Amino acid sequence: MERPDRVRDIVIVGGGTAGWMTAAAFSKVAGTQSLNITLIESDEIGIVGVGEATIPPILLFNKLLGIDENEFIRETQATFKLGIQFVDWGRLGHTYMHPFGLFGADMNGVNFSHYWLRSVAEGGDPDNHHFVAEAEAMRLNRFARTPPGGADGMPRINYAFQFDASLYAAWLRKYAEKRGVVRREGKIISANRDGETGLIRSVTLSDGREVAGDFFIDCSGFRGLLIEQEMQAGYDDWTQWLPANRAVAVPCERVENPVPYTRSTAHESGWQWRIPLQHRTGNGYVFSDAFISEDQATADLLSRLDGAPQAEPRVLRFVTGRRRKGWIGNVAAIGLSSGFLEPLESTSIHLIQTAISKLLALFPHARRDDAMADQFNREMDQQYEGVRDFIIAHYKVSTRDDTPFWRHCRDMPVPDSLAAKLELFRARGEVMVENHELFRETNWFPILYGQGLMPEGYHPLADVLSDDDLRLRLSQIRAAIKARVDGLPSHDAYLRQCVAAATNRFGTLGARP
Amino acid sequence: MSPPMRPRVEQVLVVGRDAAVWLSALALHKALARTGVKVRVVEMPSLLTPADVYSAVPSLGALHSLLGLEEAAVLEATRGLPVLGQRFANWSKSKAPFVHGYDTHRITLNDIDFLQFWVKARGEGMKVELDDFSLAVAAAKQGKSAVSRDGDRAELPLSSGYHLDARAYVDLLRRTALQAGIEGRGADVGSVQRDGDRIVSVTLTDGMTVQADLFIDASGPAAVLASGAPDAPFESWRQWFSADRILVAEAPRLKPLPAFSQIAAFPAGWVGLYPLKDRTALVAVYDSRTMSDQAVLDALPVLTGLPLTGEAAVEDFHPGARPPWTGNCIAIGPAAVSLEPLDAIQLHLIHTGLSNLIALFPAEAEALPEAEAYNRAMASHLANIRDFLITHYALNKRFDEPVWDRARDMMLPEKLQARLRVFAARGRVPLYDDESFQQQNWAQILIGHGLIPASYDPMVDTVPVEEQMGKVRGLLSRIAEEVQLMPVLDTEFGAG
Repeated sequence: MERPDRVRDIVIVGGGTAGWMTAAAFSKVAGTQSLNITLIESDEIGIVGVGEATIPPILLFNKLLGIDENEFIRETQATFKLGIQFVDWGRLGHTYMHPFGLFGADMNGVNFSHYWLRSVAEGGDPDNHHFVAEAEAMRLNRFARTPPGGADGMPRINYAFQFDASLYAAWLRKYAEKRGVVRREGKIISANRDGETGLIRSVTLSDGREVAGDFFIDCSGFRGLLIEQEMQAGYDDWTQWLPANRAVAVPCERVENPVPYTRSTAHESGWQWRIPLQHRTGNGYVFSDAFISEDQATADLLSRLDGAPQAEPRVLRFVTGRRRKGWIGNVAAIGLSSGFLEPLESTSIHLIQTAISKLLALFPHARRDDAMADQFNREMDQQYEGVRDFIIAHYKVSTRDDTPFWRHCRDMPVPDSLAAKLELFRARGEVMVENHELFRETNWFPILYGQGLMPEGYHPLADVLSDDDLRLRLSQIRAAIKARVDGLPSHDAYLRQCVAAATNRFGTLGARP
Repeated sequence: MSPPMRPRVEQVLVVGRDAAVWLSALALHKALARTGVKVRVVEMPSLLTPADVYSAVPSLGALHSLLGLEEAAVLEATRGLPVLGQRFANWSKSKAPFVHGYDTHRITLNDIDFLQFWVKARGEGMKVELDDFSLAVAAAKQGKSAVSRDGDRAELPLSSGYHLDARAYVDLLRRTALQAGIEGRGADVGSVQRDGDRIVSVTLTDGMTVQADLFIDASGPAAVLASGAPDAPFESWRQWFSADRILVAEAPRLKPLPAFSQIAAFPAGWVGLYPLKDRTALVAVYDSRTMSDQAVLDALPVLTGLPLTGEAAVEDFHPGARPPWTGNCIAIGPAAVSLEPLDAIQLHLIHTGLSNLIALFPAEAEALPEAEAYNRAMASHLANIRDFLITHYALNKRFDEPVWDRARDMMLPEKLQARLRVFAARGRVPLYDDESFQQQNWAQILIGHGLIPASYDPMVDTVPVEEQMGKVRGLLSRIAEEVQLMPVLDTEFGAG
């Protein structure tokens, strides 16, 4: 029996990365047979090209869509990414990496980090990067995909991508439109709600047309056209922990072969990103206007580019935090409309992807399903808070105190959830990670250690191996990493090979415009 | 530049009784003896009677392999049986019993939970019960076993729980521990010497005083070490569990041996029937204000259909928990948490406490910052297990009986409310951190107790109906084939 309030028409409000990722995923997974999917976007409204850098789960999203990775690389000018290099973060003049890989090897018991800490205490190699294949490959600018399984005894290489987010959105638009998503050009001027239920019935465009829907996905960006302006979700401001509230971004000319990692350089009042793509380099300065003016930050950014700027710098203003509810009634927010976290760990696209998969899993039959909405909100809150704590840790744990900004970070209190993590790490290099958290021990360790937090102890089980056995095991791990990395081509050569090998699978579905 | 070496934990004293004391000693010894940790035991007088039984969920098998205990040897020594689930009877006056089977995998079609297809088909009039799609349930109903007498098991997506004679099991553990070189001493605790929140030493009734760096309290609900700790109050869970008595009794062995426990509700609580090789253990958990001990004892033959043999024994019971780690003392098992043995979780509670302790075993003997992380993790584990138990009560359909009416009306823990609400709406079980029971376990008991989701995942409609039907038929015939090939429990374990 068909329910009268069954969801048939989905309206996605806003294009951009969030809107088109949502449209692409819904058209693929839910199909446009039983659902009508409309996306409204205006060419007038600029796209905020958030998060050009990503983290490894992006591979799952590509797989969900069934797209050819090489074609994706070609179409979005992508490069491979093995991790993030942090410059001047722990202290001035110091550099460390957050590689996407396993630290050491599986030791069949306690984590490798405990064995490594023991080795350091006994005078062994204190450079943790030597025990992560991705970090070694980053140092040498090498990359290749590796077969899964690791039957060859060598570690596999984990990776993500750095790409042009507006090209990505444009490419996903073609994908979604081929699968039946209808794009409506127009600027939304108002939303019309059902007087009785309070649900959104339709939105009105500036030319007077009305677009009706059963369920609305708000991908309208910071302002939250439906989730905030209509549903008044409210916003939790996290500025007390993450003081940055501005970013100025500018692309510059490519001056060298792209490296397989994003660089984050800490500055006087924030940090600067450098994201190498095939055709250009993305740059930005994330800062707090309480510590530096927009003009000064822009000037600093321009003076610190390694190539000629290719556009006018653009300033983005934001308030770090989280929409109190990401799904209310028949509106769910995805992307910047649901919250903002600075791109220090390249999580923007991941949070979009997570919201999409949760919304798909909890998608309501009826226009209103509060049990599903509550669950979505709970799960997304956990996601945001986990990422938030991880980002705060970078600022809090730094030993920098050379500017008011860094002294502020040193002195600020942190959420209890983070304080407990830091205390245990200080005692024994252990990070208690909950199941739902995105960043695992293998992520926390290089950050906390890299920022300068040296654990005072380690798990006693790491003492089980004899000195000789421990040395042997560590040298075996290093040898396997070396064998792996030695066998990798240069990132640039591999990238060119991928672009050349790209198929037009996408094109076989219909003529490319 | 190496950090200064601080004193390590070298001496661990495990004080307690029965399974908790020996499992603790063995697990810590196995894991840590190699690092120079010395584990000693003070074994207090047993509280077990010949009637007692340990019923265990399948995770016990993993603990045994960690301890080097062979499955066949354990079953042999304890006159025990491997079982495939628990049958819940009379929790509704109108609904047939159901079995919570120990399947290890969630069944999916096209990456969508099978349950979703079932909900849809049921809405369209299909009459097949959800547990017909469970291999463990099908095998349990046909008296099959996942394991042969010699301990061989086929590669199937199910696992076995256990019924073990409690005294024989403790004897086996004690023998194993002593053979492993663990020093044990039989005595009771006279007094505990403390310095702030730390225990310095324990003086035994035989006059001996024992010092250690770390103390494990495995003494049962009395919590002889942990209950004296400052600022570690016992939190009562009485608002969710009205039973205040546990009665154990014995009946003759069943022929043929059933491959499951039976958990039957009655007006004052529930009675569990646990087949062993040579007898059937009975455990009644009830509210003594509703039925006296004598009345329950008199009713047992009627409730179970079995005559009683041997002596029955009864004990008081108070559900709740205390922060397990305070100072340098960690309470393990019933000293830390009292939950009735519904869902066969007694030994699992000990196991969870130990595996978390080994993961967080102190890096050094003095500061012990691990305590906070341990208590947080354990609180989270215990809340999930507790909520699983509460669910049976909350969803009962025994109307017009005060114990059961109150249980249906009680205010549930917030996380459980959310879990039930999402399941009722969509048939999806939200899993939290530190879950012992997985999606398939929750779904089985929720559906079994009659909580049928109002709607299903819309993605189900993206799978063509023909394909759905084909896969469902395939699933049923695969289950039938697999069950066919499994050995019969009674043949393997019932002879003699």
